[in-house]
Amino acid sequence: MAGAAIGAVFGATLCWTGMISPDVIRDALLFHDPYLFLFFGSAVATAAVGTRLLRRVRSRALLVDAPLHWSPERVERRHVAGALIFGTGWGVAEACPGPVLAQVGQGIGWGAITLAGVVAGVWLHLRQGAAETEPATQAASTKVPPARSEALA
Amino acid sequence: MLHSQLAWYVGGPVLGLCVVAWRALFNSRLGVTGGVSEIIGKLASRSLDFDWRGWFAIGLVAGATAFALVVGGPTFHDYGWLTDTFHGSSRVWIGAILLVSGGLIGYGAKLSGGCTSGNGLSGTSILSPASLVATGTFFATAIVVSFLIEAVV
Repeated sequence: MAGAAIGAVFGATLCWTGMISPDVIRDALLFHDPYLFLFFGSAVATAAVGTRLLRRVRSRALLVDAPLHWSPERVERRHVAGALIFGTGWGVAEACPGPVLAQVGQGIGWGAITLAGVVAGVWLHLRQGAAETEPATQAASTKVPPARSEALA
Repeated sequence: MLHSQLAWYVGGPVLGLCVVAWRALFNSRLGVTGGVSEIIGKLASRSLDFDWRGWFAIGLVAGATAFALVVGGPTFHDYGWLTDTFHGSSRVWIGAILLVSGGLIGYGAKLSGGCTSGNGLSGTSILSPASLVATGTFFATAIVVSFLIEAVV
C-alpha cells in the first residue's frame, strides 16, 4: 500500500497546484504564466538532489530486495517519435496521464473520455507485443519474485 | 486556502520527494503511465493482483477524490480551449477530440518509455539521455501545438 500512499500525495499535489486544469496548462504552454515551468523545474531539481543523497545514505531499496541502482538510457528513435505523438496529444487535450487520472478522481467527465483514449493507446501498444519500454521498472520487477510483490500490493 | 494554487516552491519539491521515496522503496522510476499499463495488463489477463505501480495509479485517483471532497467539488469546470470553442450540440466534438488525444497520449507515452512523470520527472532527474531528449521533445511539441491551436481557433 506504500505505492498507493505515494500516489495519493501525488494526486492531491496535482490538484492543489492546478496542474489538472486545462486552462493552467494552456497558460503555461503559451508562456502566459511561468508557474508550470517553475513547479516542474523545482520538482526535477528536488528529485535529482534527493536521489543522489539517497544513494549516499542507503545502498539497498527498502521494500524490494534490490540494490539502489540505475543506469542512463541511450537515445533511440522511439523516444523521439513517442514524445512527438505524446506531446501532440498533451497539447490538444491540455492534460497528461497524471492529471487525467486526477480529473477522473475529481469526477470530471471530460477526464473520463481522455482516460478511455489513454487506455486504448496503452492497450494498443501492449497488444503490439512490444517489449516493456520502461527499463527501470522492468529491471526492478524482474529482480522481485512475484510472491514478494503480492505481499506489497 | 486549498482553493488557491499551492506555491510552486512547495508543490514542486513535494512531487520531487515522491520520486525520491519511490526510488528508496522500490528502486524504480515513478511513472503514471507505467501504473496505467500495469492495471491494463493485469485486467487483460483477468487478474486484480496489481503491483505497486498499479496501486500508485489507484492512489493518485483516490488522492484527487479526497481533494475534491475536502474543497467541496471539482477544482475546475470549463475545459480549456475546447469548451471555449465548441458550444451546444457541437460539444460532441470535444469528446471525439479528447478520445483521440488520449489515444496519442497513451500510445506515445508507451513508445517513448514514459510520460511527464516517468520521463519528465524521474528520468530527467537521473540525467538519462533518453528521458532528457523525450522530455525536451514532448514539451516543445506541446508548446508548438498550443500556439497552433491559439492561431487557428
